Amino acid sequence: MITLIVRRVGELLLLLLGISFLVFGSMYIAPGDPASMIGGPTATEADLENIRENLGLNDPFLVQYGRYLGNAVQGDFGYSYQTKQSVADAIAVRFPNTLKLAIASMVVAVVIGLVAGLISALRHNSWLDFTSTTFALAGISIPNFWLGALLILVFAVNLQWLPVGGLSEPFYTAEGFKQLILPAITLGTGSAAMIARMTRSSMLEVVRADYVRTARAKGVKETKVIWVHTLKNAMIPVITVIGLNFGFLLGGTIITEKVFAINGVGRLMIDAIAMRDFPLVQGSVLLVATLFVVVNLIVDIVYTYVDPRIKYE
Amino acid sequence: MKKVWVLFVALIAAVVLAACGGESSSAPSQTNEGGTTEAGGGEIEEFVYASTSDVAGLSPILTNDSVSANVQEHVYETLFERDTDTGELIPSLAESYENPDELTWIFKIREDVVFHDGTPLNAESVKYTFDKLRDPATAAPRASLLEPVDEITVEDEFTVKITTKYPYGPFLASLAHSNAAIVSPTADQAQDLMSNPVGSGPFKFVSYTPGDQVVLEAFEDYRDGAPDIKKLVFKVVPEISTAISMLQTGEVDFIDNLPSEQIARIESIQNVDIEKKDGTSVFYLAFNQSRPENQDENFRKAVAAAVDRDTFVGKLNGLGLRSDSVLGPMVFGYNESKNAAGQAYDPELAKQLVEENGYGDRTISLLTANRDNFILMAEIAQAQLTEAGFNVKIETMEWATFLDTARAGQFDITFLSWANLTQDGSEMFYPNLHTDNIGSSNRAQYSNAEFDELVDASRTSVDQEERLNYLDQANGLLLEQNDVVVMYHGVVTGAMNSEYTNLILEPNGKWTLKDVTRK
Amino acid sequence: MSTTFSVETPQVRTKKKDRFVVSTMKRLLKNKLAVVGLIIIAIQVIMALTAPWITSYDPATQQLTKSELPVMSEGHILGTDNYGRDVWTRIVYGAQISLVVAITAVTLGLLGGVVLGMLAGYYKKWDAVIMRFVDLLFAFPGILLAMLIIAILGTSLINVAIAISIWSIPTCARIVRGSVLSIKEKEYIMAMKSMGASDLRIMVKHILPNALAPIIVFATMRMATAILSTAALSYLGLGAQPPTPEWGAMIAQGQDYMWTSPHLTVIPGIAIMLTVFAFNVVGDGLRDALDPNMDLN
Repeated sequence: MITLIVRRVGELLLLLLGISFLVFGSMYIAPGDPASMIGGPTATEADLENIRENLGLNDPFLVQYGRYLGNAVQGDFGYSYQTKQSVADAIAVRFPNTLKLAIASMVVAVVIGLVAGLISALRHNSWLDFTSTTFALAGISIPNFWLGALLILVFAVNLQWLPVGGLSEPFYTAEGFKQLILPAITLGTGSAAMIARMTRSSMLEVVRADYVRTARAKGVKETKVIWVHTLKNAMIPVITVIGLNFGFLLGGTIITEKVFAINGVGRLMIDAIAMRDFPLVQGSVLLVATLFVVVNLIVDIVYTYVDPRIKYE
Repeated sequence: MKKVWVLFVALIAAVVLAACGGESSSAPSQTNEGGTTEAGGGEIEEFVYASTSDVAGLSPILTNDSVSANVQEHVYETLFERDTDTGELIPSLAESYENPDELTWIFKIREDVVFHDGTPLNAESVKYTFDKLRDPATAAPRASLLEPVDEITVEDEFTVKITTKYPYGPFLASLAHSNAAIVSPTADQAQDLMSNPVGSGPFKFVSYTPGDQVVLEAFEDYRDGAPDIKKLVFKVVPEISTAISMLQTGEVDFIDNLPSEQIARIESIQNVDIEKKDGTSVFYLAFNQSRPENQDENFRKAVAAAVDRDTFVGKLNGLGLRSDSVLGPMVFGYNESKNAAGQAYDPELAKQLVEENGYGDRTISLLTANRDNFILMAEIAQAQLTEAGFNVKIETMEWATFLDTARAGQFDITFLSWANLTQDGSEMFYPNLHTDNIGSSNRAQYSNAEFDELVDASRTSVDQEERLNYLDQANGLLLEQNDVVVMYHGVVTGAMNSEYTNLILEPNGKWTLKDVTRK
Repeated sequence: MSTTFSVETPQVRTKKKDRFVVSTMKRLLKNKLAVVGLIIIAIQVIMALTAPWITSYDPATQQLTKSELPVMSEGHILGTDNYGRDVWTRIVYGAQISLVVAITAVTLGLLGGVVLGMLAGYYKKWDAVIMRFVDLLFAFPGILLAMLIIAILGTSLINVAIAISIWSIPTCARIVRGSVLSIKEKEYIMAMKSMGASDLRIMVKHILPNALAPIIVFATMRMATAILSTAALSYLGLGAQPPTPEWGAMIAQGQDYMWTSPHLTVIPGIAIMLTVFAFNVVGDGLRDALDPNMDLN
C-alpha cells in the first residue's frame, strides 16, 4: 500500500510537470495579449509595453517557464494579472464551493444511479428496466446548461421552492442546502446515468456468474443473494466509474457554476482563459489535475478493500 | 426511485410549461426571499446589485473597467461630476476653479470632506492621487487621463494648481472620470487599495470576496448625510438570465445593462420597474482603412447603403437610438444636422454599386467579438450585405483575440463600440480614429490629416463653442465618406425592485444608488 | 478485456467475420431501445442528406419583420427565430452540421487513440512514455482542454472538432492498448513475426481487427459526447461561426428568448437530446450484442 502511494505521488509530480508545461506552452502561443486585457481599449502601445515588461512577458519562453517552476516549487504560484491577488488566495476562496458542488452532485449521481441501475438489473427486460434505462440515457443526453436553465425556470422562478443561484451559505444550514439542490441535480444527472448503466451491466454479469448460481442452488435466500453476493462484487466496476466521474465532475463544474452564479474554480478557469490571466489558468488546472489523480488513487485503495483479490505491486 | 420520478416528471413539466410559454407573467409571491424586506421606515437593510462580471479591483488608479468603476463610484469621489440630466460638468470635491491662462488650472477643494479612515481630504490628497496616477512606475491603465499635465503644486491646504503642457480642452471632463477619483494617501500607503479601498464617497468598504461579491455599508459621516441603503452588495452573476430570475424572485434588487432580447421578459415581471435614459455609447461598423480595397469610397458607400439600420434599431426593442451621427445626442459635439448625414439605406443603390465594381468577387471578413450585441449586429449586417451581393464571412472571436486582431488590422469590416464615459466628442474621436493611435486603440486604422487637425483643435482649445464647431466638422467628415456607419446609440437601462425608487442613471451608463429610498 | 472473436488463421477469418457481423446485427435488432436509436439516427441522416429538398428556405436568410413567430405559423411549421429565420430549416441543416462535426471529431480522436494505443501496446519501450502522455490528457479537465485549444486555434467548427477529438484520445488509446496486450503474445502472432511479417502488417491486419469491437462501441458513444460537447462550447461562445445553424448555438442563442419564445431553445434542445440519446442506446445495444463484458474505462 505504501509503495503504491509513493509511486503514485511520484507519477503525480511528473504529471503536474507535464501539465504545467502544456498549459504554459498553449497560453504562450495563444493569440491575445494579457497586457491589452489589463490596459483596456484605450491603452497605447507604450502603456502595453510597460505592462508587458512589468509582468515579465517579454522574456523568452523558457525563461518565463523556468521562473514559474522555480517559484512554484517554493509554493509560490504567482499573482493574477488582473486582480494582482495571489493565485493561492484566489483559488482558496473558490475551491470550497467547487468541492461542495462536486460532492453534492456525486451524492445525487450515486443515489439515482445505483437505484436506477439496480432496479433495471433486478427487473431485467421488464418495463421498469426499459423506463429506467430510457430515463438514465435521457439524463446523459441533456445539455447541462439547458437543463440548468429549465430547472431554474420551474423550481426557482415559477414554483419559488429554491433559490436561483449562489452558493454562499454553509451547506448545513437550510438555506445553504437549498442552494445546492438545483446545481447538484444539473451536474449530477450525467454521471447518474453513467453509474446506472455500469451498475446494471455489472449486476447482470455477476448474477450470471457461477458463485451466485451456486449460492442460489444451495438455497440461500434471494434477498441475501442480491445484497451479499451480487452487490458487493458488482460494485467494483461501479467504483471505478464513480472515481472517474468525480474527476470529471470537478472539471465539469464550469458550466454549472456559470449558470447558477456559483463562485467556483471552474468559473475562475474560464474567466482566466478569456482574460489571458496565465498564472490563474495554471494554478487552477494544476489543482484540478491533482485532485483527479488523488481521487483515482483513493479509488484504487478502496478496491483493495472491496475485493481483496486485487493486489498492487 | 421515487425521487427520480419526481425529478423526471418535473422536468417534463418544465419542457411543457416552457413550450406553452404562458407562465412568463406569473407574479412572484409577495414574500421576499432575499431578506431585504423589513417593516416600514426609510432604511434599507440590504440592497443587492448583480453584475455579469467581477471587479478587476477596487483602486481607481489601477483599474479601467466599468464593473470596477461601478463599485468605485460609490466609494470614491472625483473633483468634478456630470449633472445627471444636462450632462454639464459641475464641481463635486472641487468647490470652484479658475483659468488664469490657457495652461493653468487652479482648483479650490471643499473643506468639509473626510475619507472613511478619518484622514481629511485636502489639496495634498489631490496632488498625491494625481501624481501616483501619472507616475510611469505605477503603470496605471488610465494614466493618459492626465497625460497633458505638466506639474501639480499645492498652493495652500485647500488649493491646488495644475499646469498643462499644452492647452487642453477636455481637462475637466478627464477630472470627472471615475479613474481620476481621489484616494486617501494614508490608506494607500498602509494597505492595498485594490482589495481594501478607502475613499470619501457615500459608502464605505466592508468586504470583498473575489469572484463573488463586494460589500459596502453606508458612510454615516458622509457630507450630504448617510444614504438609506445600509448594506450595499455588488454580486457577480455571470448569466444575465440567471440575474433576471434572481430579480424576479427578489434575490437581487437591481441590474443594469438589460439585454434587448430579454426586455419583454423583464417588462412582464410585476415587482420590477425598468428605467431608461438615452446614453452616450455608440455602436458602429468600421472599415479597416489600411487595406486599399476598403479605402475605395464607393465600396464603403455600398456597404452603408446595404445595411438597414432602421430595421436593426427596431430589433433592439427600444434599447437603441437611431442616428447617423457618430457623436450621439448625449455627447458633447453632437449636432442635429448630422442625424441623417450618412448614406441612407438604399438596397438598389448597393446592388448597383456591387455589380458595377465587382465587390462580390472578394470575400470580406467581418470580424466580431463573441458578445451578444456584437453578434446581433454582425448577423444582421451579414445577411443584408449578402442580399446586396457582397460575399461576407463572419469571424467571431474571444474578446482577447478580437482586441489583438483588430488592433493589428486583420479584418475588412468590424463592429466597434465606445462607451464615452466623459461624454465628450474628443474622447471618442482621438483614441478611436486619430492617426496617433493606429496600432493601439484606432482599430479602424483610419488616418485623415484633415480629421486629425480638427480633433487636435478640439482637444487643445478651451473655448467650448469653438470645440463644438471643430467636433461637428470632424463628425461631418466621417459621415461624408462613410468611414463610420453608425448602427445605433445606446440607451442606458436599469431594472430595480419596485419597492424602491430614486435610482440615478447617467447617460454614460454609470448609476448611483446613494439616493435610493423605499417608495 | 476479453474478445469474443479471435482470429485463428487468415483463411477462415472472412467467413467467420461475415457470420459474426450478421449475428451481431440480429442481436442488436432484438434490443428495442437500440432499434429506436437506429431509427432516430437514420432519420437524422436522411434529414441531413435531403436538406435542400425538404425545406423551402435558406438557413441563413433573415426576414426581420417576421421574427420570433411561434410554432405552427403559416409557412413556418416550427416558427422563426429572432432573425426571422425558419427554425425547421435550421434544424434540418443543423443535422448536417452536428453529424459532420461529430464524425470528424470522433474519427480524428480514434486515429490518434488507435495509433498511440497500438504503439504503446506493441512496443514495450514506448509504452511508459505514451501512457504517461495519455494520463496527462486524461487528468486534464476535458472542456478546459477544448477551451485552450480553441484559444490557440481560434473559434470555428473545425477547431471545435479538433478540440473534442483530442479529448477522446486517452480513452481510446487505453482500449486499444489493452486489446493489443491481450493478443500480441498469442501463438499465431508470434509465428507471423518469426515468418518475417512486418510490424505494421501485423498491427493493421491482425491486431486491429481484434480491437474493433470495443472501438466501434466507443466510437458510437463518443458521437453522443461529441454532439453534447459541441453544444457546450457553443454555449460558451466558442463554437460555430454565425449564421451556421449548429444546434448547440441555436439553444444558446434561443436561451435569451426562453421566456418569450421558448420554442427557440426547446426545439433544438429536443433535437440534441434525441440524437445523443440515439447514439447512446445504439452504443449500449452494440456493446450488449458484441460483448457484454467489454471494459470501456
